[in-house]
Amino acid sequence: MRKRYGDNLWDLLRILAAGAWSILVGLYITGINLIRPGVCERYPRRDHRPDYQPRPGYRGDFALLSDPERPGGLRCIACLQCQNICPDQCIHITPEGKGKDRHPVQFRIDTGLCQFCWLCVEVCPVAAITMTPDYETATDQPQKLIRDLDTLRERGRNIPEPQRVEPVGCVADGGA
Amino acid sequence: MTWDPTCVTEELVVNMGPQHPSTHGVLRLILRLDGERVLEVRPDIGFLHSSLEKIAERLDYRQYLPYTDRYDYLCAMANELAYVRAVESLLGVEPTPRCQWIRVMMAEMNRIASHLVYYGALGMDTGATTVFLYCFRERERILQLFEDASGQRLLYHYFRIGGLRNDLPPGFCEGLRSFLDEFPRRVAEYDALLTRNRIFRSRTEGVGYLSPEAALSYGVTGPTLRGSGVSYDLRRAAPYYVYPELEFDVPTRPEGDVMARHLVRQEEMLQSVHLLHQCLDRLPPGEINVKVPRKLKPDPGEIYVRIESPRGELGVYLISDGSEKPYRLHWRAPSFHNLQAYPEMCQGAYVADLVAILGSLDIILGDVDR
Amino acid sequence: MLSFIANWLRDLLTAWFQAWHVPLVFVDILAWIVGGVAILILVMVVALVFIYLERKISGYIQSRLGPERVGPWGIFQTAMDALKLLQKEDIVPAGADKILHTLGPIAFFVVGLLGYLVIPWEEGGTIARMVDAHVGVLYVLAFGSLSVIGILMGGWGSNNKWSLLGALRGAAQMISYEVPMLLAVVCVVLLAGSLSLSTIVDQQKTLGLLSWNLWRPWLWLPVILYLIAATAEVNRTPFDLPEAESELVAGYHTEYSGMKFAFFFLAEYGNFFLVGLIFSVLFLGGWSSPFGYPDPLRIPGVIWLLGKATVTVFFLMWVRWTLPRLRVDQLMSLCWKVLLPVGFLSLLIAGTAALYV
Repeated sequence: MRKRYGDNLWDLLRILAAGAWSILVGLYITGINLIRPGVCERYPRRDHRPDYQPRPGYRGDFALLSDPERPGGLRCIACLQCQNICPDQCIHITPEGKGKDRHPVQFRIDTGLCQFCWLCVEVCPVAAITMTPDYETATDQPQKLIRDLDTLRERGRNIPEPQRVEPVGCVADGGA
Repeated sequence: MTWDPTCVTEELVVNMGPQHPSTHGVLRLILRLDGERVLEVRPDIGFLHSSLEKIAERLDYRQYLPYTDRYDYLCAMANELAYVRAVESLLGVEPTPRCQWIRVMMAEMNRIASHLVYYGALGMDTGATTVFLYCFRERERILQLFEDASGQRLLYHYFRIGGLRNDLPPGFCEGLRSFLDEFPRRVAEYDALLTRNRIFRSRTEGVGYLSPEAALSYGVTGPTLRGSGVSYDLRRAAPYYVYPELEFDVPTRPEGDVMARHLVRQEEMLQSVHLLHQCLDRLPPGEINVKVPRKLKPDPGEIYVRIESPRGELGVYLISDGSEKPYRLHWRAPSFHNLQAYPEMCQGAYVADLVAILGSLDIILGDVDR
Repeated sequence: MLSFIANWLRDLLTAWFQAWHVPLVFVDILAWIVGGVAILILVMVVALVFIYLERKISGYIQSRLGPERVGPWGIFQTAMDALKLLQKEDIVPAGADKILHTLGPIAFFVVGLLGYLVIPWEEGGTIARMVDAHVGVLYVLAFGSLSVIGILMGGWGSNNKWSLLGALRGAAQMISYEVPMLLAVVCVVLLAGSLSLSTIVDQQKTLGLLSWNLWRPWLWLPVILYLIAATAEVNRTPFDLPEAESELVAGYHTEYSGMKFAFFFLAEYGNFFLVGLIFSVLFLGGWSSPFGYPDPLRIPGVIWLLGKATVTVFFLMWVRWTLPRLRVDQLMSLCWKVLLPVGFLSLLIAGTAALYV
């Protein structure tokens, strides 16, 4: 074991003084933080950042975008690609119709199984399925986690375009 | 009072965990104690086994990617990086330069975030609860940047085979730069509050000694190994992506105790800040994705790819049989190997030292048990 | 003010009892009961208030908000928590020693209350005037050290190894830190020449702030010594080893739930506040006003005393949320190798000062 106290009185006093000083410095730092405003948000009350919304592209609850000209009023062509790529197999689609009229009559997403990986959104050829920035999906009943066609359509009604991240990225700003 | 000859002292066998505040998850330690002294420690792992390696054999290469986040949940970017590199190497795909830079940036940001959790947790383990909250305060800013870029805070699923989910969102670089400008001051604050505190020093100096020889023979990697005086960092030893072009130090400490590992991690956070500044200065424009086939069918073969995760050498061993799904995938988990050296470090320790040593190993049970 | 009320009540009761031909000894008995209940209520309220303050202060120190949902600024949070604990099931673990498991929190709580009896709340003595306070210092120290029995009972009776370890740590720590604490207090006693807490206050009241013991250089060592040892006595960080949550889960009260747990918790804060009170009495002039004697502001002495104690408690809370925890061997070597010699040194200094200053 390491020796913790000095061999002589002078060492002991020095260690004690340094220790006391380090404790005072610590007290100073916590004291400063005591006065500083905190960073926590009063979450359900939302008076801290009332207009906060996650960025587009946030992986929240699902929505199906609507297209009034298509049967069923949805963009979805029921190609089952999202159902196939889903790693958790939480999407179940019952298609109907042939060719251009193909559309889902049942579209079920079990968000209790879903891991919100965005693969279904990525794979969709017509950008019909998307994820909204809605993150408040907690519930105490498991069956409430299942989204059916009506819920998804209702959620997608007010979304004009799929939620995508702006393509413009940052480049080197030269150390500005 | 008379002496009772039948009264003898007994060794105490205690189960520490799987539900214990400071075994960092669900690790079970079987302790044999002589009062406060520890005679023997036997870690019992496997409580968080989630068969992530077997799941890979069920899913195709793309589908498995979100699962890599779940495996070491504090450095999801590093896991994704290792897996994506392995698959890309099997496919013979080279990501674009911009993609490489962004991947390195994300990995370094994740290193800071992960070390911050470690830093706070070690403070918590030694009884200083406040520094934990301070670390989480700063980590929150990184997580916000990650959320902006990838859409989620913890399980990013940002990298894709052949590229990224999307380019950096607007405002990302500015946000990162303002964080980087402020962060070294915060580290100085933690340093004064925790690291230089006399009580913390006496709790960590000379505790949990791991000799370089023992560390190497146990296969210990990462900051734990560098805390034992072995300057081994895969970003230097087997550089990948743009690391050869970047300038950084590999902090190493010869002492081999808890404090040495702590200081190595503290210094690594600052080195990551340095690296991120360089990344921001040199981030090239251009495409982020390369074209990969819709069905990923690598040629039969096997590959082992390793990166430096915040915890050490994170390796992916991948065998392809030419089908859409991996034939076998194995994670070389740094936490698992680092944990093997734990009983060695705990020789002659006190009960209180156990948690400090465990904290200094920075294990993630998801990483240990997979 | 307090003694005025007490005297008035006493006179009233005496008059009534005389009118009804009741033996006057019942006046005393009634006074004891009233005093006891008053102290019980005071300790409960103080504990609830300080648990709330601790949570709020720790929240602000850690850039958090602390409790803020129940009532304005969350002031009813701890009261609600106490109510919740009342409703909770009282779980006695299998194989536990039921009697000890029950007696532990009670002993801890009762002993915590007893110290309050001798505190001079204002000029003229203690709240119920029922304890002869000539040896108040001795009394407080004696009952302070008794609380270790409650901890040992709880830790042993729980049939849990963590509890046992915590209880043994607690016993070792509290008994060891008695010694430096005693030495620190003896320095003050030497200078005051009395074991009575009232006398100690009386000697600090004349010039207000300026005559506090805190400003006497030969008492600076005892001040530091007392703060350290008292923190250890009430098991707070950096000396919270008996309940070190990152090592021993919750130490001696790991297996407690419901009201028994609340008893431990409340008594802990009761003890904590008692430390603040005694520190104020010994070094900060007790009930006397900091602006001179008699008080130019005419604020009752009990308010001054509570205020001073609150400041002391606030300082100790601040320390708690700053420092890490010592290890058990370091705790012992700090006590026996550092604090004890420093205690003797300060005794020497205080004795010299008592002789020549």
